[in-house]
Amino acid sequence: MDKPQRPLYSAEVTREKLINDVRKDMSGKKNRFPQLYWIITLALLIGIWQLAAVHIHFALLMPSPWSTFKALLQSVADPKILIALLITLKRVGIGFAVACLIGISLGYLMGYSKTILRFLDPLTNSVRLIPIMAWVPLTIVWFGLGDGPTIFLIAFAGLFSIMLSTISGVHDISADYYNAARSMGAGRLSIFTHVVIPGSLPSVLTGMRIGLGGGWMSVICAEFIATSSGFGHEMVYAETMLETNKLIALMILSGLVGFTIDRGMLLLSRKVIKWKNS
Amino acid sequence: MPELNVINLSKTYTNGRKTHQVLDDINFAVNHGEFLSIVGPSGCGKTTLLNIIAGFIPTSSGQVIAGDKPVNGPGPDRAFVFQNYALFPWMTVKDNILYPMKMQKVDIQIRETRLNELLTMAHLGGKETLYPHHLSGGMKQRVAVIRALACHPRLLLMDEPLGAVDTQMRHKLQLELEAIFRKDSATVIMVTHDIDEAVFLSDRVIVLSGRGKIAADVPVSLTRPRDRKNTEYIRIVNNLNDILDDIPQPQESELNAE
Ligand SMILES: Nc1ncnc2c1ncn2[C@@H]1O[C@H](COP(=O)(O)OP(=O)(O)OP(=O)(O)O)[C@@H](O)[C@H]1O
Ligand SMILES: [Mg+2]
Repeated sequence: MDKPQRPLYSAEVTREKLINDVRKDMSGKKNRFPQLYWIITLALLIGIWQLAAVHIHFALLMPSPWSTFKALLQSVADPKILIALLITLKRVGIGFAVACLIGISLGYLMGYSKTILRFLDPLTNSVRLIPIMAWVPLTIVWFGLGDGPTIFLIAFAGLFSIMLSTISGVHDISADYYNAARSMGAGRLSIFTHVVIPGSLPSVLTGMRIGLGGGWMSVICAEFIATSSGFGHEMVYAETMLETNKLIALMILSGLVGFTIDRGMLLLSRKVIKWKNS
Repeated sequence: MPELNVINLSKTYTNGRKTHQVLDDINFAVNHGEFLSIVGPSGCGKTTLLNIIAGFIPTSSGQVIAGDKPVNGPGPDRAFVFQNYALFPWMTVKDNILYPMKMQKVDIQIRETRLNELLTMAHLGGKETLYPHHLSGGMKQRVAVIRALACHPRLLLMDEPLGAVDTQMRHKLQLELEAIFRKDSATVIMVTHDIDEAVFLSDRVIVLSGRGKIAADVPVSLTRPRDRKNTEYIRIVNNLNDILDDIPQPQESELNAE
């Protein structure tokens, strides 16, 4: 089977694997109670924070952990914040759907056809090196302030990792599976639906997970500049109102939401790929 | 008419400017119901030969005729058992075995009957909902064999199907394989590096030399199941071992720049 060279496309998935490997090392045999380390680290962090707050003694620069915690509770119960969060999540949803649609189809085309890969590869490999935030001014010119730039950025942030991991997912399918399917009488269509799609699915889902994470990171930033609604905008608002404790509370909240989204994707992929679990 | 005809088959691999002739003008035929083994030193081209017969790779010259049609690509008339089994990890045992029957549009009722017949034949009843991931090596091997046999292929090709299991398991699986083939009266070509296995299972053993030619073509006409202690059995094994010992190992020096 004529296959394009592989190494180009393993980078994204490898990063994921690396993180997992480090995690695995950390949770070695002796680590019976991993939560303990979490608690200690967190307590230390809050301790240092408290000391700094007392020392600086200026809530605008360094609000105390306690006042930040109160602001966090208030924010979670604040309809304005929750609506802003929903607006942002809607943008993430739409942008991510677009990223999946384009990323997966391009990924399969490029994974399947060496010619298409050769044509599109220089293009994607150069475009994806432009820092995502560098697109913001241009997207404002194109779409004006509002949903447009944010959705575009989420889609763009997710597109490449989804596309690249789809390509590497297709390339990593052993030639034996194609040969096996063909010698059992399978045609092109059946090979695509019964071999290529399921065989690449784990990699595609990993790409989607990385893409969604990237989308969530960039949407907040885009909302600082390109729109007057959404979660990022609420953060800027807290900043201009000099409510630093609320600002930090919102930062923590955005981290928690990001974590939840990531876990959700992880659980979803475990559900979808039953055959890989023991 | 023979089930398979290999005529003046040669194969040369080209890697950049280096060429490597692996098979040199091979000729043989396999009759219906025959079990043929191919043995030879490592790297002599056994896998290459089997892959050419399967249609996975093209010949350099000569041709392979399966039934009455020349081979140009894989087809369901020649089922293949891969050394690493190549069971689809995303399908259950049942779906793996049903796959060739679906592809070849076997009637739904016949599919189910055949599935159960095959599972019973390979002692795999109750395992049909498992994924390959959960099976032992021996079970995977049996699933691979019955998946290949599902649609009564004209010819079954196996590349070191027992390469990955230990001796004890090997002997057990050899007996099971033999029983399966006798029930299903298949025509088989098996590549192996185990002389004893070849003699135990085959009606005929072809020895490939390191030079890509047939060094010997030895019939084995003992009653089945075979007795490893039988003097004739031992004589054939020793004879094949002698032939193999006389073959020089294929050398890297055979890679010659042009
Ligand atoms: N795609 C390829 N390109 C170039 N050379 C190849 C290729 N495949 C196999 N070869 C070479 O052809 C020779 C025969 O390979 P083959 O795999 O057919 O041997 P084999 O008899 O099956 O060996 P083994 O017993 O180790 O499985 C080897 O020297 C191998 O290096
Ligand atoms: Mg081999």
